[in-house]
Amino acid sequence: MSGHPRHPGGLPRPEHLPRTEALLLPLADRLLPLRPVEPGRPGGPGPHRPPRRPRPLRSAAHQVRAELRHAGKVFAAEALKQHRTMFGQPLVVASMLIWPLLQLAATYYTLHPIAAGSAAAARWPLAADPAKLLGFLATGALAWAFFFSLVQSAWNFSYERTTGTLELLFLSPAGRLVLMLANGAGALLQNAWLLTCFLGAAAFGFGSLQVAGCWTYPVVLLALLLPAMAWGALLNSLMVFSRDSTFVYTVLDDPMWFVGGVRLPVFALPGLLRVFGAALPLTGSLAVVRGALLERQDLAELAPALARLAVLCVLLLAGAVLALRLGEARAQRTGGLRLV
Amino acid sequence: MPVAWATLRRTWTMTSRAYPWSYAVGCLLSGILTIGLSYLALHAIGGGTVAADFTARTGGADYLGYIAIGAGAFMFTVRLLLWSSKALITEQRQGTLGALLVAPAGRLPYLLGFTGFALANTVVEVGLLGGFAALLGITLPACHPLAALAGILALAFAVFAVSVVLGALMIVAGEAHISQNTVFLAVSLLCGITFPNSYLPAPARWLAETLPVTSAMDVLRGALSHGAGPAELAPRLLTCLALGAGYLLLGLLVLPGAERRAIERSY
Repeated sequence: MSGHPRHPGGLPRPEHLPRTEALLLPLADRLLPLRPVEPGRPGGPGPHRPPRRPRPLRSAAHQVRAELRHAGKVFAAEALKQHRTMFGQPLVVASMLIWPLLQLAATYYTLHPIAAGSAAAARWPLAADPAKLLGFLATGALAWAFFFSLVQSAWNFSYERTTGTLELLFLSPAGRLVLMLANGAGALLQNAWLLTCFLGAAAFGFGSLQVAGCWTYPVVLLALLLPAMAWGALLNSLMVFSRDSTFVYTVLDDPMWFVGGVRLPVFALPGLLRVFGAALPLTGSLAVVRGALLERQDLAELAPALARLAVLCVLLLAGAVLALRLGEARAQRTGGLRLV
Repeated sequence: MPVAWATLRRTWTMTSRAYPWSYAVGCLLSGILTIGLSYLALHAIGGGTVAADFTARTGGADYLGYIAIGAGAFMFTVRLLLWSSKALITEQRQGTLGALLVAPAGRLPYLLGFTGFALANTVVEVGLLGGFAALLGITLPACHPLAALAGILALAFAVFAVSVVLGALMIVAGEAHISQNTVFLAVSLLCGITFPNSYLPAPARWLAETLPVTSAMDVLRGALSHGAGPAELAPRLLTCLALGAGYLLLGLLVLPGAERRAIERSY
């Protein structure tokens, strides 16, 4: 409250008013919408400013560095946010460790009568050895837990929409795609402990791992994490612009393990389901992970699967960018958060 | 009885106006995919044959029939348990639990009305799953309808009894998601749903005996795939009913305390 309050004619003088109104009047005065033709008054165009000098052109390397720094900041902030809201919740432990283990045991015993049958080993060499069958199902369960944790984190991300913080995110200077990627990456970071435990247990305990060399472990990690991040970015972009996220959650829960070859080798699926499965990054990730950990494949044998996976990642990210562009353009036009 | 009837009608009205599609579709899909998985595995990997020890343990080589009965009974259990155990916590979430507690209606009739509705709903949904199994050409060659009906009724009673205990747990903990899914997964692993539970180590089998679903499954399998009559199945039927009665008694004992705790927690 500075300067002399103006008293437009026709209003009583402040000393004749009750005290609160005397306080509020000047404020109300300042907030009155004034005619925009009076220069120098609030609401008017203000004093004339000289035009800005154009900024000097920066080198491309400098720009890339600035972009990366920006992305790093967004990543760190989003990961911290997720860590504070999600980590250590009983739900995370249950859904990432206890449930997959129970499910894995049930699946193993369900398939056991088939795998131990007389005709199975000829069609599927893995089936002959119970330890290998368990390894096959365990890698499936691990990859599925990862990809599904992203479905869950995207489902949580849709709460930004219902609680009204999504507008704040979009108003902030953070890049949209970086934000979507960061949310998924945050979920993955939360679950890194699970991967570490699994790989440790598998490397020393299973005895059924067939690994070509030490280099396979980083390849396996990247083949799990990068597609999962791209997948998470696409899901987040779709969830932000969809009204009923529960349905998406339902559709991606059971059908995902079915067509992704989580509990069955892909050759057992009929052709149409294989086509669906090929569109899921989970399927490609599993092919690489199983090939590297269970079948002693080297880099040359893994190359086609890795190339396919890379192409799929690019497509997923492009889909995420497209969904964000379309959704935001529509939101600016109509004010509704919908994709179509 | 008027309380049960009123609750049933209220739930019927609410559900017919806002049917929880995603839950129902999710449960149905999960059953369909379980049967689908075993069908593909049997034909693409097993070449239509199963291991001899499965045949020895189950008294028949009909693997698909075994899975289909299991998936149907499991879906029945899950849907009924979901509806009935979440009745109280839904009231709590909608802010009407206090009103329910001061109303002069008994809790047991209220839950019975809810479960009556859920039973009608669940039978239709499981019927859809049965239709899918029939499409795949899965048949029940020897079926004793009377014993099967007894088995279904015993299972429904036992699930209702368990849901009273689980519902009390839920309103005390103030969450439903973790407890319900853990119970479902434990049932699917322990109770002989998709594989004979004699594959499991002994402690797990003892644990399974404390769940009434295990004995109900024995009754259902005997009645549906071996054509056994009520007299033959009486011991397992009685086990299931006795366990159900035990759970109901426990539930009614802990429910008042649980309601008190839930109200104290929310104010």
